[in-house]
Amino acid sequence: MNAAKTWKEKLGNTVPEAWAREIDVFETQIELRKKGKIEEKLFAETRLRRGTYGQRYDNGQRHDGAVTQLLTYPSGEITKGPVTLWDAPGMQRIKIPYGRLTIAQLETIADLAEEYSDRILHVTTRQDIQLHFIHIEDTPDLMRRLAAAGITTREACGNTVRNVTGCPYAGVCQTESFDVTPYAHAMTFFLLGHDDTQSFGRKFKLSFSGCKDNPCALANFHDIGCIARTRTVDGRKERGFEVVVGGGLGSVPQNAQLFDTFVPETELLPLAQAMSRVYARLGEKQNRAKARLKFLVKKLGLEEFKRLVLEERATLRPDPRWTAFLADLHVTDEKPLRAAGPLPAGPYPEGFAAWRATNVVPQAQPGYVMALVTLPLGDLTSDQARLLADVARQFTGDTLRTTADQNLLLRWVSEADLPALYQALRAADLAGAGAGTLTDIVACPGTDTCKLGISSSRALAAQLSRELTGSALAENPHAKGLHIKASGCFNACGQHHVADLGFLGVSRNVNGRRVPHFQLVVGGQWTNNAGSYGLAIGAVPSKRVPEVVKRLAGRFAAERQGDETFAAFVNRIGKKTIRALVEEMQAVPPHEVDPSFYTDWGDPREYTIDDMGVGECAGEVVPMVEVGLADAEREIFESQILLEEKKPAEAVARAYSAMLVAARALTREKNANLSNDPNEIVAEFRKHFCDTQLFYDPYAGPKFAQYFFRIHDEHAHAKDPEAVHQLIEEATLFVDAAHQVYARLGASLGGPALGIAPAAGASAIPSPGVGA
Amino acid sequence: MNPSKLQLKLFADRSGPHPESEAFIPVFHRWIKDHVLAELVIDVANYAHVPKGPGVVLIGHTGDYYLDDTDARFGLLYSRKRGLASATFEARLEDLFRRTLHAASLLEKEALATAGGEGRLRFATNELLFRVNDRLAAPATDETFAALRPALEVMARRLFDGPFELTRVGDARGLFGVKLVGTGKAADLASLLARVGGPPATDLP
Repeated sequence: MNAAKTWKEKLGNTVPEAWAREIDVFETQIELRKKGKIEEKLFAETRLRRGTYGQRYDNGQRHDGAVTQLLTYPSGEITKGPVTLWDAPGMQRIKIPYGRLTIAQLETIADLAEEYSDRILHVTTRQDIQLHFIHIEDTPDLMRRLAAAGITTREACGNTVRNVTGCPYAGVCQTESFDVTPYAHAMTFFLLGHDDTQSFGRKFKLSFSGCKDNPCALANFHDIGCIARTRTVDGRKERGFEVVVGGGLGSVPQNAQLFDTFVPETELLPLAQAMSRVYARLGEKQNRAKARLKFLVKKLGLEEFKRLVLEERATLRPDPRWTAFLADLHVTDEKPLRAAGPLPAGPYPEGFAAWRATNVVPQAQPGYVMALVTLPLGDLTSDQARLLADVARQFTGDTLRTTADQNLLLRWVSEADLPALYQALRAADLAGAGAGTLTDIVACPGTDTCKLGISSSRALAAQLSRELTGSALAENPHAKGLHIKASGCFNACGQHHVADLGFLGVSRNVNGRRVPHFQLVVGGQWTNNAGSYGLAIGAVPSKRVPEVVKRLAGRFAAERQGDETFAAFVNRIGKKTIRALVEEMQAVPPHEVDPSFYTDWGDPREYTIDDMGVGECAGEVVPMVEVGLADAEREIFESQILLEEKKPAEAVARAYSAMLVAARALTREKNANLSNDPNEIVAEFRKHFCDTQLFYDPYAGPKFAQYFFRIHDEHAHAKDPEAVHQLIEEATLFVDAAHQVYARLGASLGGPALGIAPAAGASAIPSPGVGA
Repeated sequence: MNPSKLQLKLFADRSGPHPESEAFIPVFHRWIKDHVLAELVIDVANYAHVPKGPGVVLIGHTGDYYLDDTDARFGLLYSRKRGLASATFEARLEDLFRRTLHAASLLEKEALATAGGEGRLRFATNELLFRVNDRLAAPATDETFAALRPALEVMARRLFDGPFELTRVGDARGLFGVKLVGTGKAADLASLLARVGGPPATDLP
């Protein structure tokens, strides 16, 4: 037996067919971009939509503390996006819908982190897992291996529906209305790749929460937050969701507004689809800083937004997927591996009691508990991930979830197994206590890897954790439960607005030099699904943040009244008091006295913001019609390859497909309900573009459209090689004509053109202009 | 079989204390700034907060240098990621050993200068760990060992200039690995480096 030479060959049909095709397409797009045949902005958005992201220094420049030096990569000036060099290492975001992971998936990601990254799996605040320092050319195999394990990275970044997050306790929680897992699952795969979610001006985030009061899904800072509710009608209990819209963090944090107190479960998916359409149609496209849904809701007003959404809802073409999932809501159920049982009598292993007090949560099901695996800064190694997989295999089965506070959760742990589970976790160095406490600090990547990072949130979090762990403050019953979250910049990926003590990276000029600072934000509400946001008090030098934390937490510990929250404490003592405390800490000594203030935590270089780059968070706004036309061009290219490989039937089919894709891209701008049925595409294309003479060349007349109609009528059957060649030429002419129509009609077809590079061989097309 | 993603780890000498990996963060930054290595190095990643993990990493384009603490055995792990596309396995091996031993010798010198010499670092020269970071090209099997063993033996002979043992290590889920142990008299790092060809001259394509 011959060994497989490629992952594609080795994995074969273990990769779902549709996903395999998508990854093949992406691999082709990588090849085309490398040859300069895809415009860089379009490729950037394509890449982001596969979760393949840029990283700090990917513009080929790095400040060494004195001057900026060039990083000279072997591929030279080839780019994978604006100011993003081809060879520069990047980040791969792996979507983990509602945080649910199987053992096999965890093991796969462990292998990928080892082989393509730096052996670290990083859990994010939106329940994704990220791998860093990855080369773009490694990504197709990485994606194939994920796909074989049931994970797609599609739409992990870019202007798309991002990972649908969910309460990690769903299904086993004591306070939930019902298990939101099957709903989050259905929503994930309904919106994934949906036509109505492809033309956003910005990212779009959804979350599912099982109850209103607890913070686990943070519904209030999502574009759409869904909170499980029930009601009784005619004696029958109905399920539905309280839906909030337009929430978000970032530089302009916005609490979500109540859209409806009860959306029946049958209406949830179509409502999200209708909202997507309204957002795609009316959301800001030019100014990215104003493009999130929260701005549209604010601009229109909630009532007008609601009216438009419900009006759109009424026009939607019925889709069986809206309710099909309701037929089996148990599809996502988990079954316990071990029988429930009481906690055995002690003695217990060293550290067990402290771990149990902070990391173990009772389940709704008697005899079972959940165990939080505390990850420092959200990180675990490949080796630890495999050991954790072994622990899960022994005690719980496929019940792992990632959490928004960057930990992992094991569910369905029999209490009887708890001491043994603790021992197993300890052997993997994964039994750290303190989950959800003062020492369990959340941090975004910051200047470690993010192009937008201003200050080092991760290194600050590491320093805080180092100083607080084992301290009297961390064990103080009042201060222990405080949450600290740090973001490297105002984009708030560290969710600092909803912490008791939040920090966001800023820079200040002191004595003619840059000094890293963090803005202190106090009193955010983590509970009630992130019920309210904290207030900025003032900026302090990075190096003084640990002292600020100790002072504030210490004062809270000493002066707390009863069960007072930190937010209430801040209100009671007043912002002025907090501000006065901060002012005492704002002084920066002269450089010659203490140069350490002029460097950031964990980085010996003299601090600078010169390494900040252009963020890719939003991606490029590329209208869906352009994506479709680029897809058509890629299919033309593939048809030529198939012909060279002496596969005429496949070549014809691919050329025909290219024409269909191009026709659909244009026509969908006229009919949002257009399906993928070829007959419908042809009929609608004829109606909107041919009968109207929009697709009409002054010299060639309707010739190019007729090429399309003819191949459709002839069912794209294989012919002799010369005829196939001719057909590919005709398909090329048709796709190019579609480009011309789009270039001419511009904004009326979904937005201005971005200057897509012509299709392979398209330069030969004598098409001075198509249309009336 | 000609895998390209090769790794080599040198373990710190257990006889004395060694500095924390974070003490080398400024060293790695300086290596980037002053182009100390004959290859493109890009960034420094700090994972010292993760127990028994990759520690502090000097990220490069063709390879990474880890101050690695896997299995609580501190050492220098060099991991070749790309490049040398058309080279033979023997050439790749030689390059691997030269880069790792060269970086290790530089680190020993840096350690002497760190914190007044208190953080002295010495690498053991009679035990090395070789791995292939590619489960497709080199699965962790006896067949892989049989295929790669001849070239590894040639390299071990050059390196130790005396008797040695090669032992396959790791489980089926992990990476293919071989422990190289010199059973004769241990030489110093400079001697080992000289035996395999000295410091690498350039970042080979």
